Amino acid sequence: MTFLALFAQTASTAESPRDLVRKLSDAVIAVLQEKNLSADAKREKIRGIVQDYVDFTTMSRLVLARNWSGLDDSKKAAFTEEFKQHLSVTYGRNVETYNNEKVEIVGDRDEGRGDWTVQTKILRPQGGGDILVDYRLRRIDGEWKVIDLIIERVSLVSNYRSQFQEVMANGGIDKLLQLLREKNAAGQPLKS
Amino acid sequence: MADVAKRLVDRWFTFILALALASPVLAEEPPPHPGPRPMPLPPLAEPAPQPPGVGEGDPWESFNRRMFWFNDKLDDYVLEPAAKGWDFVMPNRVETCVSNFFYNLRFPIDTLNDLLQGKVQYAVTDVGRFFVNTTVGLAGFFDPATSLGLEHHWEDFGQTLGWWGVGTGPYLVLPVLGPSDLRDGGGLIVDTAASITPFFVSSYYLLAARTVDLVNTRAIYADAIQKAKDSSLDYYTFVRNAYLQRRASLVNDQAAATEATQEDLYHPEGD
Repeated sequence: MTFLALFAQTASTAESPRDLVRKLSDAVIAVLQEKNLSADAKREKIRGIVQDYVDFTTMSRLVLARNWSGLDDSKKAAFTEEFKQHLSVTYGRNVETYNNEKVEIVGDRDEGRGDWTVQTKILRPQGGGDILVDYRLRRIDGEWKVIDLIIERVSLVSNYRSQFQEVMANGGIDKLLQLLREKNAAGQPLKS
Repeated sequence: MADVAKRLVDRWFTFILALALASPVLAEEPPPHPGPRPMPLPPLAEPAPQPPGVGEGDPWESFNRRMFWFNDKLDDYVLEPAAKGWDFVMPNRVETCVSNFFYNLRFPIDTLNDLLQGKVQYAVTDVGRFFVNTTVGLAGFFDPATSLGLEHHWEDFGQTLGWWGVGTGPYLVLPVLGPSDLRDGGGLIVDTAASITPFFVSSYYLLAARTVDLVNTRAIYADAIQKAKDSSLDYYTFVRNAYLQRRASLVNDQAAATEATQEDLYHPEGD
């Protein structure tokens, strides 16, 4: 029994970054392709999937960088929550614009220090050219988690970091939280 | 009308030239690199003290923000409505064709810059693309070359300068053209000179063509632009960061950010 349990554990941790990104993409596309689901139900399902694969705490820490360590725990938690909401709202919008796109994994590389990058291409059969999306993964507590997306050579972590830095330089964390809450409230998809 | 266009181009040229002369950044010639792939040089601009966490300096921010505001209004009142109208009458497939057509005309620019960076393989591909798309692709409206495995490579003179080790210089928002930097803005002059179209058409038609290209491109990216505006907390910073990241990556050719940037990005607390 112990042996079997041990074996099962090794098998699950042996999952490669490529497999993980494949599973993530397949799961999201499966939801997008479901015909009998409302847009809201799709968004909810995708949110669930994304939360399984993305480490929002690490992402929040990277995005705030040097500003992170100066925050107390309640502010850290509040920021992580609002940032998670913000990403959900932003990427939930893709539900309406899905147009039969497919995901192809084109490569991966070891970044050292427990990080891995998986390169993918979003193929758009309706034209407009393919979109390059790289996933930056980190091994956290024995599992691979997404910690950044690099879309067409633009890292989300870097992009949000400079925006948030700009806001915090002028109004501190409270201003940042307030702006995020306003954005999240305004961007909330209308419930029918 | 042709005169107006010509005068605009002249003014534009003078503007860029004045900027280039005014700044010590481009005046300093980098030593030529012997190897095929140069080592990154230290930035040529004077190292401005940066607040922690900011990956980009913006010494011309006050000018840039005003120009950005101007472009944004121009977009709100002219470009976006025009693009909406265009999008309304043009099926998406036609928009793709128009985009293909203009991209095909970039072939001398891409090829020249491939060669200037020693990327012979890319140059061969780009010449091949031009011939396939101009003939089989019906004057470039279709892109059969990509399906044949001849993938396009966007190369411009700004990238060539970057490849040879010239730093970007300060970030610069150009009128109408939008985000750029001193190096890439200067590079546009060379690319414009390398363009074949002026030899075949008068500047009046050229201006009309540029306008169609711009409106068409705006229509294609309408969704992406709207999403970016909706989701960003500071749209100016969003665009600046995206521009600088993308250009740095294009100069490095696919390679990820430099090691120092990676370190700062993914291990900000030295963990």
